[in-house]
Amino acid sequence: MAVATLPHSGAHEEVDQLYKETRDLRLQGFLLFLISDCVLFSSFIFAYFYMRNSGQGWPPPGIHRLDVAFAAVNSVILFGSGATMHYALENWKHGNFNRYAMFMIATIVLGLGFLGGQAYEYTNLIVKEHVTWAGSGIFGASFFTLTGMHGFHVSVGVIYLFILLLQSVHGVYTKEKYFGLTAGTLYWHFVDVIWVALFSIFYLV
Amino acid sequence: MSTAAVSHGGGIADHIHPEPQGFIRRYVFSIDHKIIGIQYLITGFVFLVLAGLLAEVIRTQLLHANGGFVSADTYNEVYSVHGSAMVWLVIIPLITGGFGNVIMPLQIGARDVAFPWLNMLSFWIFPVAGLMLFSSFLMGAPVAGWTEYPPMSLQAGAGTSMWAAAIFLVGVSSTLTGINFVVTMFQMRAPGMTFTRMPLFCWAQLATAPLLMIATTALAAALAALFMERQFGVPFYDPTKGGSPIMWQHMFWFYSHPAVYIMILPAFGMISEIIPTFARKPIFGYKMIAFSSMAIALAGFMVWAHHMFTSGLAPYLQLPFMILTFTIAIPTGVKIFSWVATLWGGKIHFTTSMMFAVGFLALFTLGGITGIFLAAVPFDLHVHGTYFVVAHFHYVLVGGSLMGIFAGMYFYFPKMSGRLMSEKIGKWHFWLFFIGFNGTFLPQHWLGMLGMPRRVPTYDPQFTFWNQFSSISSYVMTFAILLFFINILVSLRNGKKAGPNPWGARTLEWQIPSPPHYYNFKHIPTVYGLPYDFSQPLPYKGLEEELTDTPVAVGAH
Repeated sequence: MAVATLPHSGAHEEVDQLYKETRDLRLQGFLLFLISDCVLFSSFIFAYFYMRNSGQGWPPPGIHRLDVAFAAVNSVILFGSGATMHYALENWKHGNFNRYAMFMIATIVLGLGFLGGQAYEYTNLIVKEHVTWAGSGIFGASFFTLTGMHGFHVSVGVIYLFILLLQSVHGVYTKEKYFGLTAGTLYWHFVDVIWVALFSIFYLV
Repeated sequence: MSTAAVSHGGGIADHIHPEPQGFIRRYVFSIDHKIIGIQYLITGFVFLVLAGLLAEVIRTQLLHANGGFVSADTYNEVYSVHGSAMVWLVIIPLITGGFGNVIMPLQIGARDVAFPWLNMLSFWIFPVAGLMLFSSFLMGAPVAGWTEYPPMSLQAGAGTSMWAAAIFLVGVSSTLTGINFVVTMFQMRAPGMTFTRMPLFCWAQLATAPLLMIATTALAAALAALFMERQFGVPFYDPTKGGSPIMWQHMFWFYSHPAVYIMILPAFGMISEIIPTFARKPIFGYKMIAFSSMAIALAGFMVWAHHMFTSGLAPYLQLPFMILTFTIAIPTGVKIFSWVATLWGGKIHFTTSMMFAVGFLALFTLGGITGIFLAAVPFDLHVHGTYFVVAHFHYVLVGGSLMGIFAGMYFYFPKMSGRLMSEKIGKWHFWLFFIGFNGTFLPQHWLGMLGMPRRVPTYDPQFTFWNQFSSISSYVMTFAILLFFINILVSLRNGKKAGPNPWGARTLEWQIPSPPHYYNFKHIPTVYGLPYDFSQPLPYKGLEEELTDTPVAVGAH
């Protein structure tokens, strides 16, 4: 196998096999980007558990447990947007532009709804409970940093989806070539998955 | 006769794009991987000069037991910026962005990397971040060493925030490069170039790229937290607010231990190219060298806490981290023995490049062995934070990575410029560097064993002799590096014409003109075997027109 053999029978089939599959380089690159983004979140989650286990109990003295019910409703909104995003892409693949646009708008609205919910939760914490980013010890630091990072990702996602919608209205994508939409969908699901982790570690355990 | 019959499916760079015209598009904001690689090399070497001058400030300060060359505060700033710059602005960019960009796409038979525009972005982040790091001197540079442990890094001047931002940006650049390289090597290899036919330099880059992509992001989190704590008072590391300084050490070393493999694996790769070429012998243990790179990269993620044996790490964690660290010696030993076995019975040509490669073998082995010492908890407790550690990592980073970079420069300079570097100046460069390097760092082993702490501007007078020996040797080393730059400048103008393949090497990049055309290959070649089988015919087809004047049609395959 390792010996230099000049063209032997079968070599050309091997070569053809290797090059016939048309693969989109951007998809792989984007997935790798999501992996490295995931490591960023993982590092902060590691920091959260490290600080959480450093004594004192959790939540630290003087801080109430977070409101699970409200966050659960908000989570359902975000997961719902994941479903609508999925159907938006499916409809695009099948050429149903109107349904695609409808689901896309639904996703954007649900995403904005989630952000609104998060803003409400932040306001509640800061105004009523006086829990702040810098002034409430490691609880405020880890909670606001991680959910803030996630919220930032959602905001970027909403803007990106809006741009994608405009692009598809202007005919940038076709039924065969729609990498932007695939990337948007992947990104949106990624944001969902991160939220599953954050919801579990902040509200459930 | 061409391989155009083979259908090319994937790559963006599958057909020939017209070369951009105009100086700016060609040499400044270029998307050509070769130009970008050379930009990385030039920028990295500029930072090498700056960080090297800082090293000379350190050595000059240590000429006398009482110091006196700079103040103690300045001394802290100097060694902190020296370390940070050498790691993030010199070795990593030179060895990944520099050589990786210039050589890797040529070796796999591609016309460019997967995302040329992203590549340009990666590069341009890097000099900006470098300027930010050095500008931190204007506002009170970081003082806690390149590791910037809190609480000291929390208390230092504004420059530490600048440091964090600069390193974060370098990290973004590294991450993007890593993504780019992984996709390039997975998707853009020439037909027939299976993974087990890929040159070993590419294997080394393939092991490095995931480290760039994954480990660097972990550091980004640690830096972001440091930045937030310093600028907005968000508690992460301050123990008085519930944070933990040890947490920084975990997050920092979870990146920075893999980072030492980022700095050494590509050098391994270049050595694996240079040694068979100048021994005129097939490389010994191709697959073992390739897989050991992967093993090192993987194991590199599981050993970070060996930097923290004196930081209050739980005793039951010390033993596993010690043993895991020892296991890294196995794949590394596989490589060393394979290179030695390649040399065994070969017809060795002692060009400058080969001398640096053989020097690398000796020095890196020494540095690796002291690494095993340091991994042993009882020994580490004794010498932690002393000059023994300084000697150890300079043996692997200067004796290893930097020697690898020099070997690679002498080897690949003809491919980049079309001219050979002067062997005469090169030999002077090698011997002065080799002697100066050992004179500088060998005595530091015993200074450390005797208990001389690192990062202190003064020392006990009993250490004076070896410190002066070390400092004077370091001037020799600096002079050798000056010779290297003189050699580059002289050879660019007056060097002998190299021709396509001055070394008789067999990988793809040597089968095309030096410097290569913008489009690299007129026709993408087909690969039928390993590139290291000296005495066999070349295992490529479709290269017949590469060295002729046949014009290429833009848009052709």
